[in-house]
Amino acid sequence: MAIRVSIPTALRQFADGNGSLSVEAATVGDALQALTAQHPDLGKQLMLDGQLRNFVNVYLNDDDVRYLQGMETPIGERDEISIIPAIAGGK
Amino acid sequence: MALALPNDVLQAIRAQGAAEYPHECCGLLLGVYEGHHKRVVDLWPVENEWTADIALTEIEDAHSLRDRFYIPPKAYLRADRAARGRDLEIIGCYHSHPDDRAQLSERDRIGASGVGGGPSFSFVVVSVMDSVPGELTSSLLSADGSAWEPEPLDIKEI
Repeated sequence: MAIRVSIPTALRQFADGNGSLSVEAATVGDALQALTAQHPDLGKQLMLDGQLRNFVNVYLNDDDVRYLQGMETPIGERDEISIIPAIAGGK
Repeated sequence: MALALPNDVLQAIRAQGAAEYPHECCGLLLGVYEGHHKRVVDLWPVENEWTADIALTEIEDAHSLRDRFYIPPKAYLRADRAARGRDLEIIGCYHSHPDDRAQLSERDRIGASGVGGGPSFSFVVVSVMDSVPGELTSSLLSADGSAWEPEPLDIKEI
């Protein structure tokens, strides 16, 4: 099924400027794989050694997929995946 | 690319920095892209939720909200939805440096890695010395994420 994946502003440059993309997928992992296959540079921003980078989060609707079934989390037609950064720092 | 910042938003960032002193304050900048420039329309203050679990260095226990900040993904998601409802985008973030200069640090660079580099996202920092807000600067993360680059600020009197 087609599912919408929303891309945060600063990462849109790696997705041809798109704020969201539609991919065919049955799980969150499938969706990310399809997304990064279409946009390999975006994949480098999101993943390192097959894992989500620090400060990169993937939400299914209102929930962090780390607290669902991770990349195996199944997705439905009305679901939306959001790539969401966390930001940290200090002096 | 320059960051156009209304003076009232600038003053609100400074006021938040003073109010939350000696802790670091933080938040997101909502605005629009206008050609090669970004224009801030509003700010979205975020509670600083840093804890020692947020690993920026190998020894984080020695730090506190006085010298660390954290904008969690849930706060970013809420801000993003609110922004979209107003036809705005999240175009940057801000935080304060209590009793230090308005210069972004290596910890700031590490903690920005989830955002990605390039000109589309600004990182604003305000110095707050002894509870008095001072210098405010904006920077961009280089495209490869390896360094900070100064970004011109265009302060708008509205």
